[in-house]
Amino acid sequence: MSAKPDVIQKCLWPACLVGLFITGILSQNCALLNVHLSTVTWQNLKLLSNRSKPFPIECLQEKKAFELPQEILSHTQPVKRDIKKVFYEISSQVFNVFSQHTYKSAWEEKYLMEIQMGLNQQMEYLEQCLEEEEKESEDMKQMEEKIWSGAREPLLSNLELRRYFNRIGNFLKDKKYSQCAWEIVLVEIRRCVFYYFQKFTPLLRRK
Amino acid sequence: MHNWIELPGCQYITGTTCDFSSVKLSVFEKIQLRIRAEKGNRTSPWHEVGSFIPFRKAQIGPPKVHLKAEDKAIIVNISPPGTKDSLMWAMDILSFTYSVVIWKNSSSVDERTETVYPGGKIYKLSPETTYCLKVKARLRLHRKVGSYSPVYCVNTTVENKLPSPENIEVDVKDQSYVLKWDYTYENMTFQAQWLRAYFKKILGNHSDKWQQIPGCENVRATQCVFPQKVFSKGAYFLRVQASDGNKTSFWSEEKRLDTEMQTVILPPVISMKSVDNSLHIYIGAPRETENKSTSQHYPLIYEIIFWENTSNAERKILQKKTDFIVPNLQPLTVYCVKARAVIEDEKWNKSSVFSDILCEKTKPGNTSITWIIAGVCTALFSIPVAIYVVKGLLRCINYVFFPSCKPPPNIDQCFSEQSLKNLLLSASEEQTERCFIIENSYSLVTVEETSQVDEDHKQYSSQTSRDSGNYSNEDENSGSKTSRELLQQGLV
Repeated sequence: MSAKPDVIQKCLWPACLVGLFITGILSQNCALLNVHLSTVTWQNLKLLSNRSKPFPIECLQEKKAFELPQEILSHTQPVKRDIKKVFYEISSQVFNVFSQHTYKSAWEEKYLMEIQMGLNQQMEYLEQCLEEEEKESEDMKQMEEKIWSGAREPLLSNLELRRYFNRIGNFLKDKKYSQCAWEIVLVEIRRCVFYYFQKFTPLLRRK
Repeated sequence: MHNWIELPGCQYITGTTCDFSSVKLSVFEKIQLRIRAEKGNRTSPWHEVGSFIPFRKAQIGPPKVHLKAEDKAIIVNISPPGTKDSLMWAMDILSFTYSVVIWKNSSSVDERTETVYPGGKIYKLSPETTYCLKVKARLRLHRKVGSYSPVYCVNTTVENKLPSPENIEVDVKDQSYVLKWDYTYENMTFQAQWLRAYFKKILGNHSDKWQQIPGCENVRATQCVFPQKVFSKGAYFLRVQASDGNKTSFWSEEKRLDTEMQTVILPPVISMKSVDNSLHIYIGAPRETENKSTSQHYPLIYEIIFWENTSNAERKILQKKTDFIVPNLQPLTVYCVKARAVIEDEKWNKSSVFSDILCEKTKPGNTSITWIIAGVCTALFSIPVAIYVVKGLLRCINYVFFPSCKPPPNIDQCFSEQSLKNLLLSASEEQTERCFIIENSYSLVTVEETSQVDEDHKQYSSQTSRDSGNYSNEDENSGSKTSRELLQQGLV
């Protein structure tokens, strides 16, 4: 792995917001996890906001349009579970991005480790929640296997997201993980998370 | 129309299968394939394979497994399915979960299935036994289950002279964590290590990432205490090893520590008020100590226990509201209350300690009704009294300030003439008369010759002080005055 700049820190913003978002999503089944998740998320947010390095202007020319998928869930009233899945996807992809990072300084290492820990926790909490729900619904809907084998809709949305993150990943690889590439990617991820956060929070509150 | 591209690795194939793994395509995009047979110059028409998304269709292959045996555990080092730069699972490498099926080689009956992390261990095995296992990977959320790896077998080693510590527990006390474990032998030294939980996900081989817990190196007791600030918020794994100086035991089972789950719930603060024959109880937020983070907003319910001070019979109430009334109690009795907060989740048995005991005496019964009746009666009684008093006062005032001025009725008999009556009755009216002072004419002429006749009167009167001869004193009675006036008028 080539050395990656410390741009990743900015990436955390979205991750944190993802977490923040997720807290609202968790249903009664995950009431306690909800509490912990919100704590974890808040910590991440605080960590992220410490990062105040401005975007280097020289990197602007390498900008690329990643085409953030605007319509991720096809229903007008997406199910809570689908939204959770979306956010699980986002947090795990962002975690992926960070895990490729190598640290430049000891401070950076510590800082990024904490954020990755936070992200990991978010993912784990969400996993637990979703698995719990799955088990419950499997018990209830044993006859309706059709739903489980098919289940196209949620996967569709996740695929959109994956294509998006794929584009980001390819961009990084093509630019050989340069400093500018990282900076751009981070801005993009932050944008992505903000967008979904704003889009889905009202839907979640409605339920 | 689509732009059909030649598929590398699938050109001029003589068999009926081809491998196009080398193609760098996006596995999340829909692709369409078409195939035709060729013989010399002749070609068959194209047969189009329905479009598909590679990721959807893809199945998870077997993971690669490397085993390392201890005496009572096996370390399972798992590499994710696919190659390192495989396109298919590039985004999911960290999301794989692995389940292991393990059984004793001798009897395939007692099988066990466990979920392990890569680099994870399977515990509770017997030493010097051959175990066989197979591993499969799955992507839970995509509902993809991979195929099993081939079966791997390994022998557990001879039992180590020193067993590993067991039953690791982590408790919170004040600002420190207390790590406790059990050990069968005495006079041992122990050391404890920690690892960030997420390393298990991202690093296949994380054995070099374990670090010493400060304050837990070479401890003699079966516990060690370290400050909470050693671990920033997150999840960690802890493990303990025993040593007698020469030999060391294998590492204990790893205990997961989630700093967020360790929070201590503080007891609530209760306040009470007695209202008639019931008690109004308020449950307030716990006192927050300085270093504790802000309240976690757990969903809490409160367990309230109260009893009569004299008896021991306790009544337990479970309440979610923080403000409620306990009705129907004995009046003038002392009741005592204590409460604790419990997390509203069956799986999680966490509760705070009990709050301080608060005692309160209930009020005597029916007091309010008595007061109301008394008040009403007093009001009813006092109204006529007040009216009477006011009337009396008004009469007094009228008598003093606005007397009716009627003469005694006898007077009418005495005075029959009208004029005298008038005299008596209108005594307040004073009759004023014009008085003229008589003076010597000499003084008049010499002093004021030119003065007009009208003014003479006035001037005469002003000089009366000099001539004291002819005019009378004022002390004389009115009768003489009136005669004088008549004289004067005659002259002038």
